[in-house]
Amino acid sequence: MKKNDNSKIFLIMVLPSLISVILLTFVPFLSSFFIAFQNYNFHDLSNIHFIGFENFQAVFNDVNFNFLRILLNTFLWVIVSLFFQFVLGLGLALLMKKPFKGRGIYSGLVFYPWALSGFAIGLIWAWMFNGQFGIINDILQKIGLIHQNIGFLSDTRYSLMSVIIANIWYGIPFFAIMLLAALQSVPLELYEAAEIDGAGYFIKLFKITIPYIKPVIINTVLLRTIWIINFPEMIYAMTGGGPANSSNILSVQMINKIINFLDFGEGAAIGIMIIIIMSIYIIIYLKIISREELAF
Amino acid sequence: MKIIEKFMKFIALMLYLILAIIPLYWIIITSVKDIKEVFVFPIKYLPQVISFESYRSLFAFTNFAIYFRNSLMVALTASFGALFITMFSGYAMSRYGFKFKRNILISLFFTQAIPSFLVLVPLYTMFAKAGMLDKLPSLMILYINIMIPFSMIMAKSFFDRIPISLEEAAQVDGCSRLQALFKIVLPLTLPGLSAIFSFCFINTWNELFLAVMFINSDLKMTIPVALNSFISKIGVGWDIMSAGIVISLIPTLIIYAFAQRYIVAGLTGGAVKG
Amino acid sequence: MKRLIIVMLSIFLLLSVLSFSALAAKVELNFIEAYTNPDRKILLKEIISDFEKLHPDIKINLISPPYEQATQKIVLMLSTKQPLDIVEVKADTIGLYVGNNYLLNLESYLAAWSDSKTLLPTVWQLARTVDNTAYVIPSTVYSRTLYYRTDILKELGVDSIPKNIQELFEVCKEITDPLKNQYGFCFRGKNQQIDNIHYLVLPFLDDLDTNNLYRKTNGKVVWDDPRVAEALKLYVRLFKETSPKDSINWGFNEQINAFGAGITPIILQDADFIGACDETIGRDKFMMAPTPVGPYGKVYIIFSFPSLGIVSHSKYKEEAWEFIKYFLSPEVNGYYNKNSSGLPIHSVTFKDDPYFSSGIFSPWAYMMEHPEVYVVGQPPRASPKYAEWMQVSNDDLQSLLLGNMSIEKLMNKWAEYWQ
Repeated sequence: MKKNDNSKIFLIMVLPSLISVILLTFVPFLSSFFIAFQNYNFHDLSNIHFIGFENFQAVFNDVNFNFLRILLNTFLWVIVSLFFQFVLGLGLALLMKKPFKGRGIYSGLVFYPWALSGFAIGLIWAWMFNGQFGIINDILQKIGLIHQNIGFLSDTRYSLMSVIIANIWYGIPFFAIMLLAALQSVPLELYEAAEIDGAGYFIKLFKITIPYIKPVIINTVLLRTIWIINFPEMIYAMTGGGPANSSNILSVQMINKIINFLDFGEGAAIGIMIIIIMSIYIIIYLKIISREELAF
Repeated sequence: MKIIEKFMKFIALMLYLILAIIPLYWIIITSVKDIKEVFVFPIKYLPQVISFESYRSLFAFTNFAIYFRNSLMVALTASFGALFITMFSGYAMSRYGFKFKRNILISLFFTQAIPSFLVLVPLYTMFAKAGMLDKLPSLMILYINIMIPFSMIMAKSFFDRIPISLEEAAQVDGCSRLQALFKIVLPLTLPGLSAIFSFCFINTWNELFLAVMFINSDLKMTIPVALNSFISKIGVGWDIMSAGIVISLIPTLIIYAFAQRYIVAGLTGGAVKG
Repeated sequence: MKRLIIVMLSIFLLLSVLSFSALAAKVELNFIEAYTNPDRKILLKEIISDFEKLHPDIKINLISPPYEQATQKIVLMLSTKQPLDIVEVKADTIGLYVGNNYLLNLESYLAAWSDSKTLLPTVWQLARTVDNTAYVIPSTVYSRTLYYRTDILKELGVDSIPKNIQELFEVCKEITDPLKNQYGFCFRGKNQQIDNIHYLVLPFLDDLDTNNLYRKTNGKVVWDDPRVAEALKLYVRLFKETSPKDSINWGFNEQINAFGAGITPIILQDADFIGACDETIGRDKFMMAPTPVGPYGKVYIIFSFPSLGIVSHSKYKEEAWEFIKYFLSPEVNGYYNKNSSGLPIHSVTFKDDPYFSSGIFSPWAYMMEHPEVYVVGQPPRASPKYAEWMQVSNDDLQSLLLGNMSIEKLMNKWAEYWQ
């Protein structure tokens, strides 16, 4: 490789991507950053000016959309979804590791949710959770677990749980696909050696398999967390964050402020908060995980 | 012992399958029900009559065929566009050293953290000033931009897996850098490129918020917008909504079916060590 | 060869000039709707194409954003001065648009329009919601009236339709028998529960300011008045004793179904309910009655009304007005409302069109002839708090009905909110 034309060629090949991202992502992002400190509200566009941290204060002190509740919901949304997506995804991957007849077709059928839009899935699950005509209520009653229709999406006690269930369903294929491929790369000799030593199934799982696929686990969990925090479409389609803030998360509240209250300043403030939280998370995550274990 | 194990495994696999299929089954069934059977109690799990009335309404009363065509055009163009651009960028990131390379990578990663809804209003104002609103190519540009960071990171990791020695051998034989790229390297990364393409297609096919704001004309609408417009003041029109959802699933499922193995290979290509 | 090129160029030039002049002659109007739904879109396109036939030099593009994002989209387009000419305005956004100078003052247009003479007085009032100036003209009026299942009530032996709220409660209670899955009142708990309050609580007072029904004529806020407590007690009883428990989560679709199945044969709803019921059970099985009055013999009729306005930065104001005149003319407006299940805006339509003057619509004529009983009023829709209020009040009412909030606490909270 010639060293002296390195930088030039590199730049030419990378430039289109960089220009696009700078112009269409970073510049608008900077705009939004400034707007978070302005009273940019469509109810009165004539008097936009700098108001310091007022938007942020308004979000923290919001009487009708309790900020702590939203943070708690966001936290639960991410942690619970992630946990079950991972565990159930790993379970599925383990089940599928050994080839069986029809595995190709099976994988197509069981992995398809990944190809759908969050919004459409939100609608489908909303319909299944429907208080009057939903099949979930119907099936639960038929098997005797409940005796009366539950308003899954209209009862403050069940709304968050319901959207999380839909999210878990949506995310299992992602983990299953990634982990399955990773599992298939584990050298069989390692297992053979362990079996000679008399290791049982779970010991093999925890002492050999999981440590070996750790890089994949680390990568996918990091990526997935970012995507989940930023994933408002499903909740937006199912409950809009309600009722009474019970299923509201940061990214949904941001949309709520912009679409329903036309308060772009507050919406931007929430957006900035989301990014700050995610940056802190990424930094901590990177510190804990040593650099070489990332794919970069 | 072995038979019980096999049996349990079978049950578990079946449970996963049933859970995965139920929502799909239910929405397909809803779409072929007569409208009177949709809002009925007790719930009908099997329609008494199979009726394609919802589909007929979908195509007769809305311009769904046109929306389908628009979505297809936008998704295909954006996906090929993103693929083309990031192919080169990913290759460069893989093969060349550059002082700020790591910073670029981290910044790209950081863009994933920016909610697209946050930048919607500034982007809208920008495009409004440039007179680029209500034009499908504008949507394509926006989508390509959204897909660039992740595609570039993925592309880099695919190229990382191809030994440089292959290219060097080709250059010894008289190939130029570019020829080596096209003749040797690209064919080997085809699975990865298919993965990128499928990922881009699925995401651009399903994008909602930008499409709603940046497109005005009815004849330029895309499918997600159309589906969203079936929700009115009185709620969801489940007959055409279910039919619309089923139709919109078809391309993504086709792409997914063909590209599935590539997606798996591609996605994990850069993440698995050893 | 040269000659061929010259001929082709000439033809090309000729065609360009012709097409250019054809384009130049056509005015293109952009009309954005705010209540997109697939059926109405077809209806609007039909009316638009009829208009275009009468005016070959005008072309109208209908922009139909999804209902949930309509306001945001309209606001974005207006604030960046996108080419828009006619805008459909939701009642709760008139103040917003006028405040930002997006709408043209239509008073002079109305004065010169012959058909404006037959507009209902209510329609004039609603058009002048903001600053007592007409910035918009309603295309439909909606307000709640009573609907009931004629066949079911006959079966259950009910022979008199409730005329006031107390009677409403009593009749519903009488026919309620949970063991037989028979209830009375078709409750709507899902969103906009505040409308229930407007019709079932506010009539318990007689000293309300009709320009702002949340204030009494003495200027005080209404919510801590003891009569409200009395009304809310009855309201809670109406829900608990005459309506199924899960009706707290019922939206429009659930209400239609319950009414259609006969489970809850009495309901307070808007006129678009009629269209939905026509489809599910047929016109012969239900009927409308005037809105039940409160203990003072009065009820406050709150109209919600989609309306049309002309964008202030429109380049084709005259042409836009041509369309609005056409669309809101008695014949077209009557046709439009007949097919979209709304109430027309001209008195002549009610008098002359048999569809609107008889059968299910006849109680309307009665109501309009007794404005002292059916008093037109408005909640503080122009207030910037109103959008938020819809959600806040809904949550509070849900808490009230679930037993998580006392009547007193709710009243104090609301009094403070509107202080």
